[in-house]
Amino acid sequence: MRYRITHTTQYAYSEPAPVCRNEVRLTPREDTWQRCEQHRLLIKPDPADMGGRYDFFGNHVNYFSILEAHRRLNVTATSFLKVSERPQPDSDSSPSWESVRDMLREDVTTTGFANFQFAFPSPRVRTDRSLTDYAAVSFTTQRPILAAALDLTARIHHDFRYDPKATTVHTTLEEVFATRRGVCQDFAHVQIACLRGLGLAARYVSGYLRTLPPPGKPRLVGADASHAWISLYCGELGWIDFDPTNSVIPGTDHITLAWGRDYDDVCPIRGVFVGGGHHTMSVSVDVEPLADEPA
Amino acid sequence: MNTAAASLFDGYVAAAGLYDELLDNSGQLRAPWQKFCGLVDSLGFEEFSRRWEQAQTQLYENGMAYGVYGDDDDAEGPRPWNLDAMPLVISAGQWHNVSTALVQRARLLNLVLADLHGPNHLLIQGLLPQELVFAHPGFQRPFHGFSPPGGRYLHFYAADLGRSPSGEWWVLADRTEAPSGIGHVLENRIVLSRMLPDIFHACQVERLAPYFIALRETLASLAPNHRENPRIVLLSPGPGTPSYFEDAYLARYLGYTLVQGSDLAVRGGRVVLKTLGGLLPVDVILRRANSESCDPLELDGRGAGGPAGLLQAVRGGQVAVANALGAGLVESPVFQAFLPRLCERLLGEPLLLPNIATWWCGEEQSLSYVLSHLDELVVRRAFRRRGDELQYNRYLAQLTNDQMVDLIKSSPREFVAQERVTRSTGPVWAAGKLQRASVAFRAYLTASSDSFVVLQGALARTSTTPQPLDISILTGEGSKDTWISSDRPVSQVSLLRSQGTGIRLKRSGAELPSRVADDLFWLGRHLERADAQARLLRTVVNRLTSEISADAMLEVPAMLRALAKQGQIEPGFAVEGMRDAMPAIEQALPAAVVDETQSGSLRSTISALYSTASQVRDRLSLDSWRIIRTINSRLRSPLGSNELEVSDLPGVLDQLIISLAAFSGLVMESMTRSLGWRFLDLGRRLERALQTTCLLGSALEQQEEVPAQLLEAMLEAADSSMTYHSRYLADMQVAAVLDLLLTDETNPRGVAYQLVAIAEHVANLPRDVSQPQLDEEQRLALTLLHKVRMTDVTALAEHYSLGQWAPLGRLLEDIEEWLPRLSDAVYHRYLIHAGPSRQLSDIRPEGMS
Repeated sequence: MRYRITHTTQYAYSEPAPVCRNEVRLTPREDTWQRCEQHRLLIKPDPADMGGRYDFFGNHVNYFSILEAHRRLNVTATSFLKVSERPQPDSDSSPSWESVRDMLREDVTTTGFANFQFAFPSPRVRTDRSLTDYAAVSFTTQRPILAAALDLTARIHHDFRYDPKATTVHTTLEEVFATRRGVCQDFAHVQIACLRGLGLAARYVSGYLRTLPPPGKPRLVGADASHAWISLYCGELGWIDFDPTNSVIPGTDHITLAWGRDYDDVCPIRGVFVGGGHHTMSVSVDVEPLADEPA
Repeated sequence: MNTAAASLFDGYVAAAGLYDELLDNSGQLRAPWQKFCGLVDSLGFEEFSRRWEQAQTQLYENGMAYGVYGDDDDAEGPRPWNLDAMPLVISAGQWHNVSTALVQRARLLNLVLADLHGPNHLLIQGLLPQELVFAHPGFQRPFHGFSPPGGRYLHFYAADLGRSPSGEWWVLADRTEAPSGIGHVLENRIVLSRMLPDIFHACQVERLAPYFIALRETLASLAPNHRENPRIVLLSPGPGTPSYFEDAYLARYLGYTLVQGSDLAVRGGRVVLKTLGGLLPVDVILRRANSESCDPLELDGRGAGGPAGLLQAVRGGQVAVANALGAGLVESPVFQAFLPRLCERLLGEPLLLPNIATWWCGEEQSLSYVLSHLDELVVRRAFRRRGDELQYNRYLAQLTNDQMVDLIKSSPREFVAQERVTRSTGPVWAAGKLQRASVAFRAYLTASSDSFVVLQGALARTSTTPQPLDISILTGEGSKDTWISSDRPVSQVSLLRSQGTGIRLKRSGAELPSRVADDLFWLGRHLERADAQARLLRTVVNRLTSEISADAMLEVPAMLRALAKQGQIEPGFAVEGMRDAMPAIEQALPAAVVDETQSGSLRSTISALYSTASQVRDRLSLDSWRIIRTINSRLRSPLGSNELEVSDLPGVLDQLIISLAAFSGLVMESMTRSLGWRFLDLGRRLERALQTTCLLGSALEQQEEVPAQLLEAMLEAADSSMTYHSRYLADMQVAAVLDLLLTDETNPRGVAYQLVAIAEHVANLPRDVSQPQLDEEQRLALTLLHKVRMTDVTALAEHYSLGQWAPLGRLLEDIEEWLPRLSDAVYHRYLIHAGPSRQLSDIRPEGMS
């Protein structure tokens, strides 16, 4: 699949802000199944300085500052991507989850080191007895890790209700688990906590999801949303993604932007400003499928 | 004379089974003490006591207030610094051995830091368990992957030391983030060397200065730019944090600008200091704020201890931070369990100085050992969190063994256990005799070329509680100067530049941080407000306490109106009909004056004055600060049951007014006419003009007749009686009073005088001189001045006497309205960048199902 993704974020201030400094993670990652053919970042007003780097997890970060008084800040990222079908491993023949857990500990290579860190609590994901117990229902003795993870994904999908009004960006994991309501970010955090509680390595993936219009209706431009799901380290199979919000293993409808231990590591836009009074923001995301070959 | 009986050291007995600093096992003085003790004895008890009393006064006046170590660990807030009269004496030979070992330890910790924030070989090769860093909340990814200049993470390191019963030294704890206490070492040394100058010289005590010279050279050598004369700032977490006193003290001693996070900004990849005259590049930051708080952009809003974008500036190599960001990682006790092994591996030599045996419960073998030996061990948090260690250790200390086992088992990685240590003992001077106390030391190191230099001295802390339960020396109650006594004459060194090195002459320019200008401006305003309030209050109180009944005094209602307008009393007192319903003013007034919670009370003004002055403490001379402390000590509601009476007020107010005048005098006579002074004086002039205007308005409005007594009271409140009477003798006329208080440009208490000064200040603030128009604040200042100059007071007084308030009222209202506008205009032009920075709200993904 080929896509053009337009991700626009706008901040509006009630009073002029003389200075603003930002850091954005809006450049899609590249891997075996995803190539970013072109990426553009458009910022209004014009930044006084700009630069880029890779963070600890290999996500690309752009940073910039605005040094003129402004009442609006507009950040638009446009990416052209090619996403290919991933092989679907047979879940019943995957290694047992216990063997993956033990291997993580024993792998003393640089890669093993990089993987192991995702088995630990992170600022937004504290492990907790009740979450581990919840996960243990799926992770029975010697169960193949893929089968167990799929079962857990399906259970979260079933037990939790999608409800954007129930939570905010600051709602804690404990509250989400207690109320069984939230959005994709909350479900991802719940599943990560479940898996880490078992000693497995799980990471948070931020990205986009292609939405299909109802049959016979045209696609609505800009009505898409950014999305989040998780990735689980499955031993020799490597990292495999799971989407608890939709109970699927992501395929070509999911476009990966960045990953980290939890939302805090991959927050798409972060900024600090002076003055400005109150501010409001709005986001629009458009995931447009393109013809298969570049025109 | 029986010399033995006269010795101060008689009667001191060492404890059995512990190392005593003063006496050996046979009860004889240890070698380095012999000369010291002999000299103290020849001074005699009385002279020693007398000198000690003087020294204590000095400590109090210098305002040594402090939470024990200032590691943010002390919840109880600042308390007086408790210096002991007796130094601890250690031989130079012994300290040399300790120093060698500490240098090794500093090198080792630096290497560990460089690996953990870099290639991570230690983790990948299994020399340190990976769990240890991944579970460590201080292992922050943003600090990873870039190397500070020269691979140096540690420029300033401290080790807490104790002594075993056999006198061997131990390391109790490492401090690598931003060690505190060295300001107190300096202060202790200054006090004690002044108290015992002859003994200090005779004992050949090693100097502290070479250490600070090395520190300064090291910091200067880090500068990526301006290498000949780099701008070095000391970044403090600010007033309200326990170490602020020391930060200000050190900044002054080292000659660095004291800044807070909001004073700095990042522009074009460089760190700059926001000043009135513009943005000045900063080359090196001596960091006293926690790493995690230093960049609100990348470190997720853990406070604004530094400017947004600092990390990127550090990565770009345009600024150096000491200690490097993330250096605090290795001060967690958990590392002590691994240091012997790491030393062999990284330095190829055994660790010279043992630390207390430490077991990390994150390892299974250690865990089972710990659980079966809980009685012999002290459990602590494995990963140190600056801020609440003391409370947490107290919490741990009161757990039963079963509770402790449950706690550890619930998350073993979070805990270490350490052997219980005994500490050495030493003499402290208390209640006129020597007593025995437990002792712990904090030694300081600074990086120097490719190694480290050890301070020839230490902070000693003492505790007289018989059973020191914990290795924490934070709970210590006293502090001591530590003398490293040499058997050779010590070389004289000074931190002052040697003569002959060139220096470029400077006059104060526009390098004033905007935040400091803002604080000085408000310091000026609070000073003047306190003065006006105190004077008006005194005028009223003098009448309430006179022999004539207050009801019979015609001026009292108008004066009460003025007090109410200042917010010093309830408005009800100022309303004719309501006054009867209120308690007698004589009863209500004293309580209103000392009521800190009432925003218009004199006490609350003084508190605001004190807190503003603390913000700019490093800009005030020691003398000025002493006066500020004196001012702040006035008008405290007395402890216990005896309330302040109205008859107590005149004396208290007299003292307060004198102190305020003393401070103003120092400002006039001792402050260079820099921008800082301008902002302070601008604040004073503005407030004084406002106060005098308010006084005129509230006293004269609603007044059908103006008795001579009221005019007299107004002049008294405005401190202009003397001038008036020298001009007009006893002839009290409204026109003459208006002239003196409103339009006379020669009366430093009058409004016109303030307006002239304001216009002059505003004209001299830095601005772009090429622009053709006047700025708003200039226009406002000149318009006001013009208005007052053009006023015909005789005509105003005539209208007023015919019952027409409006012409005078309008003028006063204009002044009252325009002055705050002028203040706003100045704020918007010069001070707005001093405002706080905030974070954009997070946006969450909401991907639909």
